[in-house]
Parts: sequence; C-alpha cells; structure tokens
Amino acid sequence: MSYFLQLVVSGVVVGSIYALSALGFVLIYKSSRVLNIAHGQIIASGAFITYSLTVWMGIPLVLSFALGLCVTFFLAMSVERIFLRRLIGEPIISVIMVTIGLMSILDGIIYLTPFGTENFSFPPFLPTTPLVFAGVSVSWTQLVGVALTAAMIGGLSMFFRRSTMGIAMRAVADDQMASMSIGISIPKVFGLAWALAGMSAAAAGALIGNITGLNFDTLHAFGITVFPVVILGGLDSILGAVVAGIIMGLIQQFAAGYLDGNWGLSSTGEIMPYLILLVILLFKPHGLFGIHEIERV
Amino acid sequence: MKGNRLQVAALAVALLVPALGGQCLAAGKVHKLGLSLAITGPTSDAGNPYAKGVEDYFRLVNDTEMLGEDTIDCMIRDDQYNNDITKRNFEDFLAEDIIFYLNYSTGSTLALKKDFEEERIAVMPASFHAGNTADTNYVFLPIASYSTQLVGLGEYVAANHNEGVAKVALFIHPSAFGRGPVEDLQKAIKAGLKLDIVEVVEHGKDLDNTAMLKRLMSKGTQYVLTHTVQSPVATMLKDASGLGLTAKSFGEAGKLTFLGCHYTGGNDLVALAGDAAENFHWVTSYIVTNEPGPGATAQLQLAARYGRDDKAANSHNYANGMMVAQVVTELIKRAKAGGGEVTREAMHRELLAMNGDRSFSPGTTVGPVTFSTTDKAGVDTLQLYVVKDGLFHSSGLPFTPVYTDKIK
Repeated sequence: MSYFLQLVVSGVVVGSIYALSALGFVLIYKSSRVLNIAHGQIIASGAFITYSLTVWMGIPLVLSFALGLCVTFFLAMSVERIFLRRLIGEPIISVIMVTIGLMSILDGIIYLTPFGTENFSFPPFLPTTPLVFAGVSVSWTQLVGVALTAAMIGGLSMFFRRSTMGIAMRAVADDQMASMSIGISIPKVFGLAWALAGMSAAAAGALIGNITGLNFDTLHAFGITVFPVVILGGLDSILGAVVAGIIMGLIQQFAAGYLDGNWGLSSTGEIMPYLILLVILLFKPHGLFGIHEIERV
Repeated sequence: MKGNRLQVAALAVALLVPALGGQCLAAGKVHKLGLSLAITGPTSDAGNPYAKGVEDYFRLVNDTEMLGEDTIDCMIRDDQYNNDITKRNFEDFLAEDIIFYLNYSTGSTLALKKDFEEERIAVMPASFHAGNTADTNYVFLPIASYSTQLVGLGEYVAANHNEGVAKVALFIHPSAFGRGPVEDLQKAIKAGLKLDIVEVVEHGKDLDNTAMLKRLMSKGTQYVLTHTVQSPVATMLKDASGLGLTAKSFGEAGKLTFLGCHYTGGNDLVALAGDAAENFHWVTSYIVTNEPGPGATAQLQLAARYGRDDKAANSHNYANGMMVAQVVTELIKRAKAGGGEVTREAMHRELLAMNGDRSFSPGTTVGPVTFSTTDKAGVDTLQLYVVKDGLFHSSGLPFTPVYTDKIK
C-alpha cells in the first residue's frame, strides 16, 4: 500500500511541475491563439537568470527567484514587443513560424553563454532529508514545487476571474474584434500574456533546475515534454493544465512502478502519456477542458 | 656605370635567391587535421572541454615548436551532435587534405565508417563504443571501450560482493551509445561472470525516480551500473539519497551501490548531485587532477597557459581531448622520424605500430596507449575512482578486465 501511495505522491509532485511548465503555453494560447514553440527556451532562460542572480551576484536564493521571475516577465514582454507585435492580425501560422525562429535565436544566444554547454547546480537551500509520512517520502524541493505551483495557478486563476485586466484577457481570447470594439487594447493584452507566460516558465525552470541540475538540453526539452499535458488539458484551460499535468505525472509513475521491468517492458513512462493522450483525444478532440467553439454560419 | 649597376643587381639577386629559398624550405610543413564535435547541442557539456583540450594542446605544439619547423593546423567545427553536419564537416576537411580525423559521437562514427574506409584515413572518435571498430581498419578508440568499462565494473562488483551472486540493474542512455555495451556484459555473464542482471532501465528525462528505485529494491538489486551522461545519474542519486537507499560503503546490505562508466562521472556529477554523489564508483582510463602526478600537472599547466577556467582545467573531458591531441602529435613525430612524408598512410601505419617498445605514455591516462591490427583501443587499463568528500579518489590499482578477451 505504501508503494502505491508513494507512486501517487510522486505522480502528483511531478504532475504539478508539468502543470506549471504547461501554464505558459496555455496563457499565450488563451489570449492570442498562438502556440509558442520557444517555450522550452524561456523555461531554460528563467532558470539561468535565477542561477546567475544567486551564484554570480550573491543574492539569496528566495530573493533571486523573485527577481528572476520579474526579469523573465519583462524579457518575455520585450520578446512579444520586438518580434510579435507587428504580427497582430496576421495569420496564426505566421506567428507560430516566428516562434520557431525565436527558438533558434534563443538557442543561439544561450549557446554563447556558459549555460549552453556546461552543467550547473543551485546551491542547496532546503533540507536534504525528505519528509516521511506512513512510509511515503517527499523531498523538500518537491514540496516547495507543489506549493509554488498551487500558489501560481491559484493566483493566476484569481487574476483571470477578478481583475479587470484578467477579464479583458479572457475577452480577447473569446473575440478580438468585439474586445477592440469595447476599448480593450489587444497589444497590451498580448504583451501581458507573454509576460505572465515568461514568469510561470521561469518558476518552472528554477524548480526543474533544482531537481535535475541546470543543463540546457534537459531544461529546454521540457517545452516538448509538457506538450501532451497542454493538449490533453485543452490548450486554453488553466484548470486543464493542472488536471492533465497531474494525470500525466500519475501515469508516468504508475507505468514506471507497475509496468517497467515486467514482461520485458522498459521506459513505459515515456510512452504511456502519449498513448493515453491519443485515446482521450479520440473521444475529446479539444482536450479534457478545451473549449469546443461552434460557429454559426 | 650602368654596367656596374647591373652587376650589383645581379649579385644581389644571386645572394638573395638562395637565402630566401632556404628560408622557405626551413619554414616547415603544415599538417592539417580535422575535428568535428558537439560544442553546442546535446552532450556539449562533454564536447566543449574536449574541444578545448584538443585546441590547447595543438597550440602548445606550435608555440613550443614541438615538431621543429612543422606546425599543426587542426580545424575544429561544431556539429551540434547532428550526423548530417558531421558528414558535411568531414567532407570539408577532406577538401583541405587532412591527414588524420578526430570524430566525436557514436552515431556519426557508425554512419561515416564507410567513408573513413573509402578515404583510407585514420579516425579517433570521442565515442568509446566497441562497435565503432567493427569491420573497419581505420577507426581507433582512445581508451577501453564502453563494453570493457561496463564489464570491468561488473567484474569489480562480482569480486567484491560478499554473499551469493550480486544482483545488478543497468541504468543506460536510451540510444545506441547506451545500449552498446549491454550485450557484452550479458555475454560476460554467460561466459562465467557471477552477476545477475535484474533489469535494464533506459532512462528518460525523469523528474522523479522513486518508482524505479523502489522497484529495483523490491527485486533485490544491490548495485546499479550506469552508462549515460551525468545529469540523469545525478537526479537518480539525489532521489536515492532522499529515500535513504544509497549505500554508505561498497555493497552495504539492503542499499544500492551506484557505479558508472566514463561519461557518467567526473567533477560535473559531484557538482550536480552534491552530497548524494558520495560513494559513487566510477571507471575510466584517464587521470583526475585532484591526485598529484605528472599528467595532472601537465593538464593543469596547459589549461593555465591558455587561460582556461578551473572547470575546464579539471575536467576529465579536457584530459580526453588533450590525450587524443598528444597521440596525434606523437604519430606525426614518428612519421617524420621515419624519414618519409607525413601522409594519411604514414599516420595509419604509425598508429598500427604503436605497441610494444613503441607504445606511448601521454601521462593523462592510467596506462600506455597501444594499437595494432588487432588492438583498436588505445589504453586498455581502467582505474576505479570513488567519491569521498566531494572528490574522486583512486581505489586500488589500474586493472584490465579479464572477461573482455573471453567474450571476443
């Protein structure tokens, strides 16, 4: 029983981090219908900024984490302003192609820094002894990860429900023309969506970096790793990202725990999320919580 | 008067021509080499210091006139771990008339093997995959193959395990690089090596290895032999440590002892895993810089001379790059000493003759470099290192696995 519980806990922890990583995708898609292919690079950039502030500038980790979020917030906002603002109103595929170009540019910039080719690790700041309850163990880093994910997702949900800007963003996601007609600034909304996506990506990057170490290949690969999460949850649903993240985390852990090593199977945790994704999409083509738009003609 | 001027001019020309001609002859030859590797992209954490080691050593050769008037021109190009780019780089190098080629990855070495054969050019990759040398006369591994390393770790476990047959799990990279040596370890077991492989795990980009570690424990696993890159091993070590599963000493009952091949270890592993790397056992044919010796001194001096930071200077992959450059330089020296032209054929011939009295000790390895028509791996000996207080320390003397020959 404790083995099963351990898998559940591990699955929820990993799933939370997936959800946080997927959030950036959702925020951008929700407001602009654009799939940001360079999301993995932004995750990595956020982690490297936090590391630089902590280790090279000697700022305490908690403070540098907050600063890292702020820096990435403005960095992502600048990216939108420089590269994407001019494409408002252009076909979505053009914007997606620009994000592919952006991915290459960010890759190139990061390769010019030591982060592109070397491994780094955050200085330990949490106790290394895990918390153990009823035979189930969870590390402090994982616990902080879950708490941070909950806080960020809760905060963003509140923002979208309660704040004027959040409601404006939802309105833009719903209908750009109608939003413009009531005076909502579309460029402002897009800029903010990118900025918030950058911030959540930085948080995810710092968390993943704390768990795996800072390796550019590992970090930017998460942009792809969380793709099934985004699709499963529904591209425009924050709740969907959370639920799908946790489902994916649990599937991976159960597959690794019960399938791998039996019947000649190995690494099923890598494949199972995609299999489950395929099955679910057969019945729910817009994902678990994605909006199925019906157009009247 | 005019006649005098002509005579003076003729005399000047007569004096200058031989002098200039002599100087041209004395300027020496430029020996062209090529290196294509991942300076960026996947595995660049190993490729980057490797490139620095190669570059610095050839600069030293030229700066200190190690080859007299001759110089080495080694063209180094990034291939981003992409076989297509590697092939293009190799073709460009051929157009430059290189006499020796340094390659990098397992995939590109296997993919270009026929090209090397057609061009009749000797190649030394950074990949130690045993399959690189199969069905070719032109690919040479700098050190013992991954298979030899994994079998060596297996032999060490079997020899030092206390009760019964040791149960091991293999934690490998999900690629040809990772899978390569597994079959050879299985062959060694069939040939009598007392090990029981309970599971072969091909890792992914896992954020949590709890399920895998608990599963291995439930199967009675005591040793995990790793053959991959450092980052996933570090994550696993941290998870194992957090779960209280890491053995504090070799073979501690009820715990897991972790061991690894060349590319799993080194200072980066300790940096990534922190205290969780304690008691990690690592096997390679290279020296480590925290243990004083002539090789370590030479490596640190070279890095200091060309302004490398501590991380690169102390990297085993810097030693790796430096060592292949040392071997190539030695081949050129020997080819020159033979009196003939330094050509591709001469380099290949000298490589095959590097054995017995003509073996080569670069100092950066734990044994001599030997090659022959039947020996395509340079350094045959391995050294086991164990992490104590955050540093890799030698454990025992260099050894040569006995089962490697038995399974050939």
